Parts: sequence; C-alpha cells; structure tokens
Amino acid sequence: MKLSPANYAAIALTVAGAIALSALNWSGRPVSVATVGSMLVVGVTLGSIYAVSASGLVVVYTTTGVFNFAQGAMGMYWAFVYWELRFNRNWPAPIAIGLVVLVMAPLGGVVLDRLVMRRLRGTPLVLQLMVTVGLMLGFMGLAATQWKGDRGRNAQPFFGRTGGFELLGVNVTWHRFTTICVAVLLAVLLRLLLHRSRIGVAMRAVVDSRSLTSLTGANPEIISGLAWALGSSLAAVAGILIAPESGLVVELLTLVVVDAFAAAAVGRLRSFPLTFLGAMVLGIGQQFIRSFLDFPGGFSNADRALPTILLFVVVLALPQAKLHIRGTAAAASTRIRRITPLSDAALGGLALIVVIVSWSGGLVPFVDEWTGTGVNRGVTMMITAIIMLSLVPLTGWAGQVNFAPLAFAGFGAVMFLKVAGDSGQAWGLVMAALLTAPVGALMALPAVRLQGLYLALASMAFARGFELLFFTQSSVIDSGAGERIASLHFAGWQLDGRGRGYLIFLTIVFAAGVVGLIALKRSRYGRRWMAIHDSEAAAATLGISLVETKVIVFGISAAIAGFGGALFGIQQATLNPSQFTLLLGLPIVLLLVVGGVAYPAAALFGGVNTILFIVIKERLGWSWLSALEILGPGLMAVAMVVNTRGAVTDMGRAFSPLLPWRHDARDQFRLEHATEREDEVGELGLGRPFTRDHVNDLDRQLGIVDLIPASRPTESRGGL
Amino acid sequence: MALLEATGVTVRFGGLTALDDASISVEAGQVTGMIGPNGAGKTTFFNVMTGLQDTTTGRVVLDGRDITRLSVHRRARRGIARTFQRIEVFDQLSVLDNVLVAAEMRRRWDRSGPQPREEAMACLERVGITQIADLSVAALPTGSARLVELARTLATRPRLLLLDEPSSGLNGSETQAMADLLRNLTEDGLAVLLVEHDMSFVMGLCHRINVLSFGEMIASGTPTEVQSDPSVQSAYLGTDHGAVR
Repeated sequence: MKLSPANYAAIALTVAGAIALSALNWSGRPVSVATVGSMLVVGVTLGSIYAVSASGLVVVYTTTGVFNFAQGAMGMYWAFVYWELRFNRNWPAPIAIGLVVLVMAPLGGVVLDRLVMRRLRGTPLVLQLMVTVGLMLGFMGLAATQWKGDRGRNAQPFFGRTGGFELLGVNVTWHRFTTICVAVLLAVLLRLLLHRSRIGVAMRAVVDSRSLTSLTGANPEIISGLAWALGSSLAAVAGILIAPESGLVVELLTLVVVDAFAAAAVGRLRSFPLTFLGAMVLGIGQQFIRSFLDFPGGFSNADRALPTILLFVVVLALPQAKLHIRGTAAAASTRIRRITPLSDAALGGLALIVVIVSWSGGLVPFVDEWTGTGVNRGVTMMITAIIMLSLVPLTGWAGQVNFAPLAFAGFGAVMFLKVAGDSGQAWGLVMAALLTAPVGALMALPAVRLQGLYLALASMAFARGFELLFFTQSSVIDSGAGERIASLHFAGWQLDGRGRGYLIFLTIVFAAGVVGLIALKRSRYGRRWMAIHDSEAAAATLGISLVETKVIVFGISAAIAGFGGALFGIQQATLNPSQFTLLLGLPIVLLLVVGGVAYPAAALFGGVNTILFIVIKERLGWSWLSALEILGPGLMAVAMVVNTRGAVTDMGRAFSPLLPWRHDARDQFRLEHATEREDEVGELGLGRPFTRDHVNDLDRQLGIVDLIPASRPTESRGGL
Repeated sequence: MALLEATGVTVRFGGLTALDDASISVEAGQVTGMIGPNGAGKTTFFNVMTGLQDTTTGRVVLDGRDITRLSVHRRARRGIARTFQRIEVFDQLSVLDNVLVAAEMRRRWDRSGPQPREEAMACLERVGITQIADLSVAALPTGSARLVELARTLATRPRLLLLDEPSSGLNGSETQAMADLLRNLTEDGLAVLLVEHDMSFVMGLCHRINVLSFGEMIASGTPTEVQSDPSVQSAYLGTDHGAVR
C-alpha cells in the first residue's frame, strides 16, 4: 500500500492525539507487570475475536466482492444457536460446537449465497449495501423472535470460569487461552488456504474476473458458495467465543462483531495480516482504555467508541479514490425516466393532506377505532417520512450513501431543545435545520474523498460516534434534568406534539417538502447532483466541482433531517441518547430504499411501513411477531434482490391509467421511433442504392482500409 | 506557441509503464490525431491531460500556463473538454439536460453568451440532435449518445476538445457528418485532439498525427509523413523490431 505524505501526517496526528488523550485522562492506576499483563491478556483475547470475525468479512469480500454488513449479526445468531444447544438443551460442548460451526453455519452461508447473494452480482452498490444491512436486521429480528426478551442468558466459558495457568503473575483462563489459540490457528489456516491451495487461488481470482476464472476450470458458483460458508463459519466461531465474555444480548453481540469492521478496514478489506494487526490494536486499545484511563462522564463510552474512531481514521487515511470512468453500459435501464412536474407533486401533496385531515378527524370508518394512539402513530409516520426525505436528494439523486440520518435528526432535536425548547416557537425549527446543515457538510468531507462502500462505512462510524460520544454528553442531552420541549407555537396556534393539529401541520410540512424537493430536482442543483451520481469523472470534466456539489447536497440533506429531528423532539417532549442510535437509523434508510430512494413518494411509503409493522404487531398480538419492527424492514430490504426498482415505481405504474396527464406512453413511442431510424442503415442494398458512405462502411466492417490493414494489428502483437 | 504542450509525460501503474516520456503539442484551429495500437496509452494520455490521472513525471501546459497540478474541474474551467471512449453520459437526465448541466456550469466562470437553455439548444442543433432533446439518454443508441457527449462538451465553450474515438459506433454517413462538424469547429479556432482507430477518418481529417506505441510517442507529422514512417508501419504490422525496445 502506497501512502502519501498526507496519509503519514494523518497517522502521526492520530497517534499524537491518542497519546495526548491518554495523558489527559490517566486514571493513575498502578502500572505493574500484573496490571499490564492482565490488560494484554484480555486485550489480545478480544483482538483475537475481532480478528476471526474480520477475517470472515475479508474472505467474503475478496472472493465475492460483497461487503457483508450482516457478519456481526450472523455471529450473534450462531452464538444463540450454540447457547440453545449447549446450555438450554445441555448437549455436550464438542457436539454443539461441531454442529454449529461445521454444519449449520456453513449450510446457512451456502443457502444465503444461493438465495440472495448470487443475485447481487453486477447490481448497483446501494442495493448490495441495503440487502446485507437488511440481512443484519433480519438476523437480529430472527434472534429476538426465537429467543425472546433479555432473560440473562449466559454461556459458560470453555473449561469453567476459573482455572487456567499463570503467566508472569497473570492468570490466563483456559477460555481465553483457547480463544487466542483458535485465532492464531485460523489465521495460519486461512493464509494457507488462500495462498497455497488451488481452490484458494481460484477464490482470490474469482473476484477479479469471474469469466476468466471459469475458463481455468474452476466453477465460480461453487467458489462463491464456499466463501459464504467459510464466512458464516468464521462468524459463528467469533460469536461463540465472545458470548461468554459479553453475555447473550442481541444488540450487544451484533455490535461487538460490527466493531470488527474497523479491523477489516485497516486491512483495506483485503489483507489478512493487516486485518490481524487492526484487530489487535482494537482489542488491546480498548482494554488499555478500560485498565488505565478514566474519561469524564459524557465520554465514559470511550472504550466502545474506539472501533468507530479507528474506522473513521482509517477510512480518512485511505488514499483518495480515483474518479472512475466506468462507461454508461453499467446502467442498463432503457426506461424513460421523466422528472415529475411540479403540478403533479403539488396535487399529490394536496391529496395527502385531504386524506390525513379526514382520517385524523375520524371520517374514515375502518381506522376510526385507532384514533387516540392512532393520531400519535400518524405523527410518528409523518416525522419518519420527513427524516426519510433527507435521503432522497442525497442518496437517490446524488448517489451518496448515508447511514447516519438519525444522527443528523438527533442533532436537530438537540438544537431545537437549546434554542426554542421552552417556548416551542416555530422559528426554532428553522434554526435547528440551519444549525444541522454544517454537520452534514462535515460529513461531506469524507464523502469527497470516498466512494461507495467506504462512504457507507464512514457514515456508519459517524452515526455510531454520535451515539456513543455526542448524545451521551450531559451538556447535550441531560436526561436527568428532565428538560422538556414545549408544544409547538405556530402562527398563533399551540400544537400538542401528539395531537391532530400537529399531525396536520406535519402533513403540510411534508407535502411542502416534497414539492420543494421536486423543484430542487428540476433546478440546476438537481441536474448537477444527478450528473455526479451518473459519472463523477464526466461531471468533473465539465467543470463541476465535486467538493462543492457534495458539500451542498450533504448540507441540504442534514438540514432536512435536522428539521425532522426537531419535529421528533416536539412529539417526544423529552430527549434521551437511546432515541438516536445507529441501529434505530438503519430501518429508516432501508424502508426508504425499498420504496425507491430516488422518489419523494418513497418517503411516505417508508413512513407508512414504519408504523404498519408496529400496528400489525399490536393488533395481531401474536407473540412470535415480537420483533417485527426490525425483522420486517430487514426482510423487505433483502427482498429487493428480486425487485430492484423500488416499490413506488410499481405502484405508480399500476395507478398510471388513472392519471391520463402522464406521458410515459407517448415517450415510449418516440423512443422506439428513434431507434428504428438508427436501424435503417443496417439494411443496405434493398431498394436503396449504394453510396460512397455505404462502401466506406462496408470497407470498415470488412477490415479493408486503404492505408494500413485495419485488421486490428494489435492482436498479432499479443505475444510481445 | 501551441495551445497545449504536454512534455515528458510518464505514468507508471506499479511495474507497468503506461506512458514513457511522451510529448504532444496541439495547435488551435487544427485537428490533431493520436493513433496507436490498442493498449498504447492513448486513453491514459487523455486522462493525464484532463487531470483524471496523475503523472509520475511530465508537464502539461495550456496556453502558456502550467496546469499539471490542477484538479479536473479547474482544467475544465480553463477550456479543456473531452469525450470518453466508453460513453459517459448522465443516464438520469434527458438529452437536453445533459447539455444544460454543462451550459449552466460554464456560466459560473464565463457569464457571456445566451441563457443556458438557449445555449444548450444551440449545441444540440450544432451536432444535429435537436429532435431527441427531451428523450432520456439511457436508451439512446451509441451513435446518438456520442453526439450528446459532444454537444455537452461544446456547451462548456472549450478551447481544446479531446475526443476519444469519436467515430466508433457511428455509421458511414454519421462519420462523414462528424468529420464535417469537427472541421467547422476548428475553423472557429477550436483545437481538437482525437484518438481514433478509423484510419480513413484520421488521415482525411487531421492536420497532424502523433503515433503512440507502448507508451512512447514514436512519430509525429502530417498524415503523409506518418504513413511513410517505417517505425509506424512496424508498430502496426509488427514486422520489424526497430521501433520496439
């Protein structure tokens, strides 16, 4: 890996910062052989688990080109299965482990590859991200459905809690010793497999060129199945090893293994040695913080935030992505995409307002019985939809992936609390939006350097960083002080955050937002965003500054999310850090993309679905649906492998006969006509005289060019 | 002094040398050609001149100003425009909007001329595709998409136009029309540099031709000079080892 001086400067700065932070927050606990030794033992154990999990990511990524966001959730799920067999049913450990790691996990991996992952080949990156993130939520939902509630499930460490051996005066338990040995063993085996064995070389070759690899006799289908089996097994090993240390809690286990992303990023998702180095830095670093540092209140999560910080730093220190010249053939859509006229958007908005007003007024008999909590559900729906709108220009039009909309929303909510929390004045909403915009612009800085997957990872790190280090500050959200946000004062009205008036206000805001966004899309800004989405290289050669364009779109997106967050604050009346976590933000992103991220209407679809899952769960009251609000969006996102267009386009087409002013049919006709004109030339000679042009054309096709034989002479030089 | 002078350009990708001390000069009001076998480094050279590819060594000078370290969009604002070998149009936009986005951008650094929308229409008219202005480009046949790309570059009012295989995907009459259009453009003082495999197109159109082979500029001159150059013939036919190290 070649690093530029700027990269070295960034690394030096990070190290210096880490040393300074350590010095400032030194706890004063004694530094002795015993304390350092025990820090190292625990740290290396933790690092080993990260290493196993991260190498699963690397195996799958190098072989299939898919970054598996579900790696952590898979590890969590297999750990639960192991717990079920080993401790709930009291099977002997070797059988339980063998069954999970060698049979169930690999089978699960193969099934996933068959049903889902294979269809992702050649699809846009956004879809790949959403499907694997959907899978992550799916596994979480599945585990929460199968093993309900947090009932203090515990997995015993291997060979008991006590016991072990003394090393430099530190007791190393057998469990930790086993963990470290397993990691080292797996590292060696993986290295041998991928670099020494025939199948391993084929696995590494397949991602570079699928068709070439198949020419050598290897079957890419089998290889990708194998990679997923291996990845799933590695996840299982990591999950089983960590479970006794961390306990069996769905979110916790998933996130612990999510932390391994940082280790994989150190290896740039490809190098095993660097991944192991990253994992050890993480494990030992976290244990160092726990052993020797004391951070003041709001930063008490510093140890948990370390992977996030590392991920962010690593991603920023990566050499700048080149502008890809990819050729337009990649997007093989022949459909005419007409930008919605403003009048259509306004009409749709009006219709929505009418529907909501009559529904919340009890005029629609079927839903009438929900009124009461129903109105509040409607409020949730509209706020979610508004926050989702923030992603439409950003992800849908400009193509910038962002998993942190809820971090922006939370920031907006906090800003509203600070500037207008007591009074509830409506100008506070505008202030919240304006104050959140710079945070979005900050997020744009990595976006300028990064593309695709790394941007997605950076935005996840950003969201997690906000969750662990920002919202936890008592100066930001003081949950103990009972700060309350007043109901909204708007144009002489006082709108209660759960009342009908507020719902109607939100609906009008949403409708206005949709019209505003469509106007933006039709403006020069929208055109510029779509241009950088379709080809950054071509856009730049037209004089478009990518930095400026991305900063603007991130700023606007953050402002919308911040506005939505402030509205959320008014509904909730009190804020607490757990409202704005990374995990809660994911369904928002997924449901919008399921709806069709380029369409503002998808935000409404997403909002409706958000509450629909909750309502279905409550109305049916079936206990096996207890995790539907995670499982539902997860499975919907996974189902996008079958329908990649987004739900609202299909709905739109289904309803288009009712909307005669839409001209899709006429466009289609003209398009076909245009293509026909093009084809005419191919039919030479029949009733049409040969012209000089045609002769030239034929000459060219036959390779007869007057000067130099045009039989592509390069081919004859292939051997040189 | 030529409008564009690129001197001693070397680009290495790891161990592979894509361009080796290659130089070129492009005069205003002329069509300059760059030919060479596949993999000779022609597109890499274009990327160097537009800033999409950093050079290991070498200088790119536009109109007397060194632009070697300028970013892509700043070079565009100084008058370099290009098309791509594999077409890079904006799929989500209509034909007119593809050109409009360029026309709007141009007004950021040069406020002269008509309104962006009129200018975009004028560019479409110049390449002869006004009749498909409001179609989506995603569905266009290659030939038309190339013309959209060309119209889009014209909307930036370039001084130097780099065309990567402008005639590929065009039929005979379209190729002829393209040649006429390029001649017209140079009469207005534009400098055109094109990479092309179609020899009759290149020989008939270009004032000067540069031949690139394995990253080295092995010949440069008028079409007749280049045609009779033995090193060019050997590079193309591989009969002689003289031109290849």
